[in-house]
Amino acid sequence: MKVQYIQHLYQRLGFGIVPNQLVQLANKDRHQVVEELFYMSSSMTNLSIDTTDLDHYTSETVIGNKKKLFEFRDKSKEKLKAYNLAWIERLINTSEALRERMTLFWANHFVCRDENIFHMVQYNNILRANALGNFGDFVKAISKEPSMLKYLNNKQNRKQKPNENFARELMELFMLGESHYSEEDIKESARAFTGYNNNFEGEFIFRRMHHDYGFKTFFGSTGRYNGDDIIDIILEQKQCARFICKKIYSYFVNETIDDAKVEELTSIFYKDYNIEKLMRHIFMSDWFYQQEHIGAKIKSPIEFLVGICRTVPVTFESAMDVLKIQKLLGQMLLNPPNVAGWKGGKNWIDSNTIMIRLKLPSILLANARISTKEKGEFEDAFETYITKKRKNKFVNVTVDWETFEKQFADYSINELQELLLLPKLSEGTKTYLKTLSKSSKQEYCVQLMSLPEYQMC
Amino acid sequence: MDRRHFLKQSTLASSLFFVPNFIKAFESLPSHTLGFKRLVVIQLSGGNDGLNTIIPFNNDNYYRNRPTISISKSDVLRASDDLGFHKSLLPLKKLFDQGHLTIINNVGYPNPNRSHFRATDIWQTASSSNQYWQTGWIGRYLDEYGNKPFNALEIDDSLSLALKGQNTTGIAVKNPYVLFKTSQDPYFKNVLNHYQDEHLSEHNLGYLYKTMITAESSAKYIFEKHKTAVSKQDYPNNEFARQLKTTAKLIASNIETKVFYSSLGGFDTHAGQLNSQARLLKTYAESMETFVKDLKQQGTFNDTLIVTFSEFGRRVKQNAANGTDHGAASNVFIIGNQLKTPGFYNNLASLSDLDDNGDLKYTIDFRSIYATILDKWLAVDDETILNASFQKLKFI
Repeated sequence: MKVQYIQHLYQRLGFGIVPNQLVQLANKDRHQVVEELFYMSSSMTNLSIDTTDLDHYTSETVIGNKKKLFEFRDKSKEKLKAYNLAWIERLINTSEALRERMTLFWANHFVCRDENIFHMVQYNNILRANALGNFGDFVKAISKEPSMLKYLNNKQNRKQKPNENFARELMELFMLGESHYSEEDIKESARAFTGYNNNFEGEFIFRRMHHDYGFKTFFGSTGRYNGDDIIDIILEQKQCARFICKKIYSYFVNETIDDAKVEELTSIFYKDYNIEKLMRHIFMSDWFYQQEHIGAKIKSPIEFLVGICRTVPVTFESAMDVLKIQKLLGQMLLNPPNVAGWKGGKNWIDSNTIMIRLKLPSILLANARISTKEKGEFEDAFETYITKKRKNKFVNVTVDWETFEKQFADYSINELQELLLLPKLSEGTKTYLKTLSKSSKQEYCVQLMSLPEYQMC
Repeated sequence: MDRRHFLKQSTLASSLFFVPNFIKAFESLPSHTLGFKRLVVIQLSGGNDGLNTIIPFNNDNYYRNRPTISISKSDVLRASDDLGFHKSLLPLKKLFDQGHLTIINNVGYPNPNRSHFRATDIWQTASSSNQYWQTGWIGRYLDEYGNKPFNALEIDDSLSLALKGQNTTGIAVKNPYVLFKTSQDPYFKNVLNHYQDEHLSEHNLGYLYKTMITAESSAKYIFEKHKTAVSKQDYPNNEFARQLKTTAKLIASNIETKVFYSSLGGFDTHAGQLNSQARLLKTYAESMETFVKDLKQQGTFNDTLIVTFSEFGRRVKQNAANGTDHGAASNVFIIGNQLKTPGFYNNLASLSDLDDNGDLKYTIDFRSIYATILDKWLAVDDETILNASFQKLKFI
């Protein structure tokens, strides 16, 4: 398989590829490379953190005890920060790349946020477990998750006083897209989801007393539907498959939608809503590897940050630093802006975030300094002195250049460019890169990462 | 058609004909070139307890609902027969007495949301509680009437949704020098020097280069403006005061910024409210007092309007932890020199007729305040920006 194609594939469904992995794959054909990716993700490793110190918070101790509840909430918030860091680390180090990539995708589809660490961990792992499974089962599982029940107020949805929030978003954001249902459909389906609840331990509880057992008329058929029935009826709409395929195409292939391709995907997905099959079809298609798609997307802040750390391993001394970076870049995991999620694409970029993005590689890897040393220029003693002296104040990190050097040992300094940058360089930038001294791989790596081209995947 | 009617029509037509070109050109100019009116928006993040800020000191329901955290009558700085300021707000009370402050009570919206994130979103986007908008109301103002990112600045490290538009987005600048230094990195300069227009044609990559160029020039512009201005006031030593000082300096510099955005956090007082809120209100009031003095000294107070809001108020009934839980409607402060209705704009809503959660019912939609400011202060079409029509108020 062509090196550039492998890079493209790994950018889109992993978080970039490290050179020695690239060498191993180069002799394989597309089928083998893709199958290996799926094979690696056939297992699933839950993401969890140590919460044993919170184990004494249970239904018995917390419910009705406000003080205890606040105490739990504060501790839970701290744990969520640790969980955020654990997630980032997982993305950097995972061998289940495709599963993690899909998890990240679904986290911005079934958007949810919760201050309860137990519920959030459970939710996050539901995303992971279903990431490549059956879409219908996935939606049904999500509809019964405590975090989602709270986030979209379905806990408050009762026969006597229906709350339509979840039913509305189920159709608008999770399954069909705007304008593919009526207000009446929302009202009727909200009744089917009444009685959903959960306990503190995170188990789903169905409260018969609050459920509306009456007839509901939904998408033209009438029955004593419950929530799962409603989801099944929506799945029968081809629009549901189309809606998901369009989102997948936009995320994995190109934001500029090709309707014919989306229809091709829709007809496959509609048959059985098997996510894995759908993804395999995309990655096996010739059109996925067309030049117009390669390096055409703007990396999300997480892709950008994780990408840097995969190329040059970085250890953060404080979780707060990692959160700070995410905040400045405009995407903090577990903290989506609202139920519609991050918009992505150009929306990632404004005057502030572009500067932070261009500056971040040097902040993390080179004491905020990007060399401009030209060919034949002597080492500036003063510059060296300054660089060594200045303690990095913005973030405290340990950079593992040794691993980087090992990874890139078989490549020349000039080859770094092709390994790190996917889009075609413009003439101007190419000319400028030629003038640089290129005396150190490390320095050149920071220089390449500080280009707008590095923001593309 | 009778002759009179005809004449009327033809004069109208002919007079239109003779409108000099420069006036027509004038009309199409973005409004910020037409005036120097500026807006400063301040968010008290976390949900400030409005009832312990402006206290209904004659209301039995207030004292009954808050046995341990109510502000006693004798501690209240009385401003009317039944409402008074928290004692930390003495500097604000002075502004009130001078006619520089309007307090709008019970500001909210239908079906209020009690999550910080969601409620902040609603206030920043000016959406209804069942709408999820991706642009902020100031961002949409920039889309329609601004042309440069620096037409709206947030004095912070990162940008709030409020300042994000579809095509134009404001800039976050906590420290103009740091922003400038970052943008002036010699490496970026070199990359941009080699940059050619061909990049612009490339869809996403072109956008990155374009934004990089705009960011560089904006950072330079803001820094150079900021450099020229001086502030002779002694601001309190806290982060919020520093934000206001930066704002005052930028205003004095004649920068082409119409909207400044800042926030003061920590108002989520679920427990031990008395001390923490007193401290925060003190920070707010003292910093604001200095800011107004600064603006007055610079001669810019007349053209500056300051709006302070919080994403929600708090529950009327206190909780067991000597704090209050998330509520709904609350008060908004308008500070300025051109107020039509200084003092209390309206009465406090009933403390016995509450909503299902035990929260104050709103009587004024926050978007009415936005509409009034957009229409009367910034002189732009509020309906285009808010995507709906809201009743205008009379405070300016």
